[in-house]
Amino acid sequence: MYHLKKYGLFLFFIWPQWLMADEIEVTMHYVGPTEGQVWLGVQQGLQEANLQGGFLGQKYQIEVVEPDALETTEIETVLLLATDDDYIMKVAQSEQFAAIPVINLISRSDELRESCLPNLFHITPSDEMRADALAQWQEKNPDKPANVQSWHEDFVKFAASQLNNRFKKSQGEAMTDQAWAGWAGTKMIADSVVQTMQYDAEFMLNHLKTDLVFDGQKGDNANFRENGQLRQILLLVDNDNKIVAEAPLRGFKGGLDSLGKVTCK
Amino acid sequence: MKFKTLLLSSLILASTAALAEPTHRLFATNEKDNTVSVIDSRTNKVETTIDIGQRPRGIGLSPDQTMLYVAISEDNAIAVVDVKTLEVIKTLDAGDDPETFGVNPVSGHIVISNEDDGEATFLDPKSGEKLAVVQVGIEPEGVAVSPTGKYALVTSESSNMVHIIETTKYEAVAHLVVGARPRGLAFNSNGSLAYATSEIGNEVAIIDMETLKVIKKSGIDVENSKPMDIKVSPDDKMLYVTTGRGNSVAFLDAETLELKGNVPVGKRVWGLDLSKDGSMIYTADGVDGTVSVVDTAKQERIKTIEVGSFPWGVALDD
Repeated sequence: MYHLKKYGLFLFFIWPQWLMADEIEVTMHYVGPTEGQVWLGVQQGLQEANLQGGFLGQKYQIEVVEPDALETTEIETVLLLATDDDYIMKVAQSEQFAAIPVINLISRSDELRESCLPNLFHITPSDEMRADALAQWQEKNPDKPANVQSWHEDFVKFAASQLNNRFKKSQGEAMTDQAWAGWAGTKMIADSVVQTMQYDAEFMLNHLKTDLVFDGQKGDNANFRENGQLRQILLLVDNDNKIVAEAPLRGFKGGLDSLGKVTCK
Repeated sequence: MKFKTLLLSSLILASTAALAEPTHRLFATNEKDNTVSVIDSRTNKVETTIDIGQRPRGIGLSPDQTMLYVAISEDNAIAVVDVKTLEVIKTLDAGDDPETFGVNPVSGHIVISNEDDGEATFLDPKSGEKLAVVQVGIEPEGVAVSPTGKYALVTSESSNMVHIIETTKYEAVAHLVVGARPRGLAFNSNGSLAYATSEIGNEVAIIDMETLKVIKKSGIDVENSKPMDIKVSPDDKMLYVTTGRGNSVAFLDAETLELKGNVPVGKRVWGLDLSKDGSMIYTADGVDGTVSVVDTAKQERIKTIEVGSFPWGVALDD
């Protein structure tokens, strides 16, 4: 007790500085709707980013940018897009954003993946991945119709049920494909900041390409293919909205990369 | 300082003196059967099966080894079983969705991870009283209490952290970032170091408990490895890590984290316990519905025991 008193003043001066050492404020820029599932997903990701970062003195925010105002906006860490394909392509190709990670959250366009732009990443699975997943299913189950989804509100494995539960609790509705993509894109950036303690755009671009280890709550490490597509399993869902399988289905070679294109050749 | 040491050693002596004659029973929680399998570890045969409650997962013994604690997640409770009579004596309110827990070897308090609430609950099993609830990250999972009882460590799977809580203050004093989806925790024998596994990161991290910092991290070079539970050999030289879908127990050098051996066990292996003499490892093989017995000297599985559906964890009374 005596020692505590004696050093009290000393502690008073040291402590705040020690706290500041880890203090980081991260702004993620976003162009897209500010209602609906993708937005709720982004909000969920942001909430979890702040809960996680809060333990370390980090703060996260989303800055919504109007499509026309992007040219005059300075991007610090990342640009999240939930827009049409033409806009995504235009932004990713522009000189201004060449050293910034541009993350396409919800477009499934194969053309965007085939562009292989070095700063462009895709969270949701492409049309081609979905078609391959369906083909695998049909090869083994010729008479049973199914739909392909990247997420499902009843998905339980790999702690998916925990994410479903907290999304529903916080956002008031069930998590869909688009919400998962919004969540994953946002949480992935926050997790990368926490792991590296760095958040400038150029660093982040390189990190996403080479060092990303992300838990998308879909099993294996979710990282990016050479063409910018996020690796992940897909779900086969029957006409009664029941999950009947996960793709890649057993017996198909190539694991996660058996779905859709991987490289830029 | 001297007084503290004296106090600590007398506490350890006291608890050693109070140790009951071991039953040599090995207990395994069967997550999808709502049961606990009781195995005689001298014969490696199932002796009986106890109905325990909904979704049993975490499992452990009281410091005097007279009581078995089982987290029954969907009953939001900890079941207390008499190790000798195998009677379920009582169930303790454990907060929402208790996944697993650690037992403070000095105070006997149970530290529970409440998965859905992002909390750690401190419970006195004697009175059933909730002593404190501490906020941790998203999806808390593994819990370990240091040998001196001073620190409780809790991993939060979706916040990529190990939270270090001072048990007398019920206060987090450090939050350490480790690899993605941290799961299991273990201390060395004197509590100077702790070890944390990361499932998606496929890593083991070493935590210096003096400075409360991560001092080393390393991957596990085993195919499909998703590290889960971890234990330290009694001589502190080897780490035993279950690899989940790697279907094995990895043997790692406790200092360098170098892979020293890899013993195939059952499919989707999660929980693990180690005999006090360090000679035998017992694993819960979820998909196979078995408990594997591994001889640590031979680095070989010597027995596979059929248990219930989706065994989650094991605890040995030896």
